[in-house]
Amino acid sequence: MIAGVCSGLAAHLGWPVKYLRIGMLLAAFAGGAGLVFYAWLWILVPTADEGARRAARSPASPIAPAVSLPAPGAAASAPGGLSSVRVAAPWFTGRGIRYGKELLLGAGLLFVAGILVAQQLGVDLPLGTLIPAAAILGGAAIAWMQLDESRRAGLRDKTKADQAGGWVRLAAGLALVVAGVLVMVSGSGSWEQTWLALLASVAVLGGVALVLLPWGLKFWKDLENERAGRVRETERAEIAAHLHDSVLQTLALIQRRAGSEQDVIRLARAQERELRGWLYRDQAADAGHLADRIKAVAAEVEDTHGHLVEVVSVGDAPMTERHEALVQAAREAMLNAARHGGGAVSVYLESSDTGSDVFVKDRGPGFDPAAVPQDRLGVRESIVGRMKRHGGTAVIDSGPSGTEVRLSLPAAAGPDERNGEGKP
Amino acid sequence: MNEAGTALRSVRVVVVDDHTIFRSGLKADLDSRIDVVGEAGTVDDAVRVIAEQRPEVVLLDVHLPGGLGGGGREVITKSAPLLGTTSFLALSVSDAAEDVVAVIRAGARGYVTKTISGAEISDAVIRVADGDAVFSPRLAGFVLDAFGTSPAEIADDELDRLSARELEVMRLIARGYSYKEVAKELFISIKTVETHVSAVLRKLQLSSRHELTKWAAERRLL
Repeated sequence: MIAGVCSGLAAHLGWPVKYLRIGMLLAAFAGGAGLVFYAWLWILVPTADEGARRAARSPASPIAPAVSLPAPGAAASAPGGLSSVRVAAPWFTGRGIRYGKELLLGAGLLFVAGILVAQQLGVDLPLGTLIPAAAILGGAAIAWMQLDESRRAGLRDKTKADQAGGWVRLAAGLALVVAGVLVMVSGSGSWEQTWLALLASVAVLGGVALVLLPWGLKFWKDLENERAGRVRETERAEIAAHLHDSVLQTLALIQRRAGSEQDVIRLARAQERELRGWLYRDQAADAGHLADRIKAVAAEVEDTHGHLVEVVSVGDAPMTERHEALVQAAREAMLNAARHGGGAVSVYLESSDTGSDVFVKDRGPGFDPAAVPQDRLGVRESIVGRMKRHGGTAVIDSGPSGTEVRLSLPAAAGPDERNGEGKP
Repeated sequence: MNEAGTALRSVRVVVVDDHTIFRSGLKADLDSRIDVVGEAGTVDDAVRVIAEQRPEVVLLDVHLPGGLGGGGREVITKSAPLLGTTSFLALSVSDAAEDVVAVIRAGARGYVTKTISGAEISDAVIRVADGDAVFSPRLAGFVLDAFGTSPAEIADDELDRLSARELEVMRLIARGYSYKEVAKELFISIKTVETHVSAVLRKLQLSSRHELTKWAAERRLL
């Protein structure tokens, strides 16, 4: 109702909000425990927005747009709530990163609790020294955490918001440390002395900073320049290495094999494919999906038979056992097309929610109809039979102007896929 | 000289490509129906030569140096006043969707890959000169990818979707069918196939369909 903690908790635990709110109210009357718990959750649990941002920033999905999906249930089930912005975060996603920090926090709290209990029991503790020391430690920890984070963030892109947060954290850490030192020092002497000492130290620090600032800036700039240069150099070296490994080697091979036209074409085509894959690789497409597999198979056929196999794909589907059968059947069809059909082989893959279709077409003038009949029995087994066993269909349409194999695999609704390959 | 109708025609063509070797190879490959009247290797040269020669067809590489760095698209944009009389046929080694779709949307009448044979390029040039569109299997694939593979039931604009027939034609072209084979498969005339393809081209050029722009934007991000 205040910060949406209850609704968030409800969304997280899957309990109705009403009970949680009543429980929280009761707990609040029971010595204010509810209030403390509420505040604790409010401060420590990241909001859904933060959680989404963190998830979006993770390098696992660099292309995925950072859409922060508001938890629909939580937003809807907060009737009249002033703000239901804060909903429970997916703890389970953040835990991996935050684990160490939480552990530290817990240890610190336990320590404080221990001290309090000890004091209650009558043990005399030098609180005047302990508290400032804790402040210094805490401040240093905060500042160092920032350092660590900024180094990590340096690998990713730095945003202004991140930097602002970093400054705030650094300032908080500094303030804590300074306050701690101040209290510690003032514990031993009078306030007047402390102020004088503080003034003097600040003046000295300022003077030193003034003297060192130009050098510091220069070093910083040099460092930045050097870093940028190194990045460029690394990139260039990587490209050079790649070109050397692939293109130069192939060119050398082509010069040596200049006599054989077939070899030259095959080498050039393989190199083209490789370079193309390197330059225009579709980052969005997950490797190992159907389109990738079909392309890989086409490349393999191209390499073994020196025949151009052109693949056009629309849509994609994740691989399953049934899709593997589709790929194998397509491979068989491509091999046949490369072996018996002349000219380029066209492969078209279309995947959608309803299923996947693969078309393999060759249309060469050198097509020999007489070679088809005795071969088609094998084709029937490895293409038609295989597709049938996995709940798909295969149609082979052969004419004097070429052959087209049409493979169709409907989406999962098909018959039992555990039919076994060994079945006759 | 096999077809009397087209043998009489001689199409004036300007070849724009920044690789001299490729230009001379292409010129040697094109058959006698094609009359190469000019060449250019940069965006600025191309714009000048096209304005001087007023060819019927420009064979245009997608990637060109010079100008503002816009490549083939920039040549078309700068030659926009001539689009009524001059047609552009994009020629590319690039498979990248954004290159191809960008140049088509700028006004090119078709797209072929550089690996196709001289006879095929010649046919494509004649077809473009006759005012038709030339789609390679890959371009058809891009179109299907961008517009979706199922005919939309609801669309507020006719430009925003492909008709069932246009989808069929695109699918067959993506499968590697020639226009003639498409006509035979669908029991329609070649002229009708060409009409469908031109209609798809028009939609690809004019549609501001949400999905299309989104699709293009996603690609450009990569």
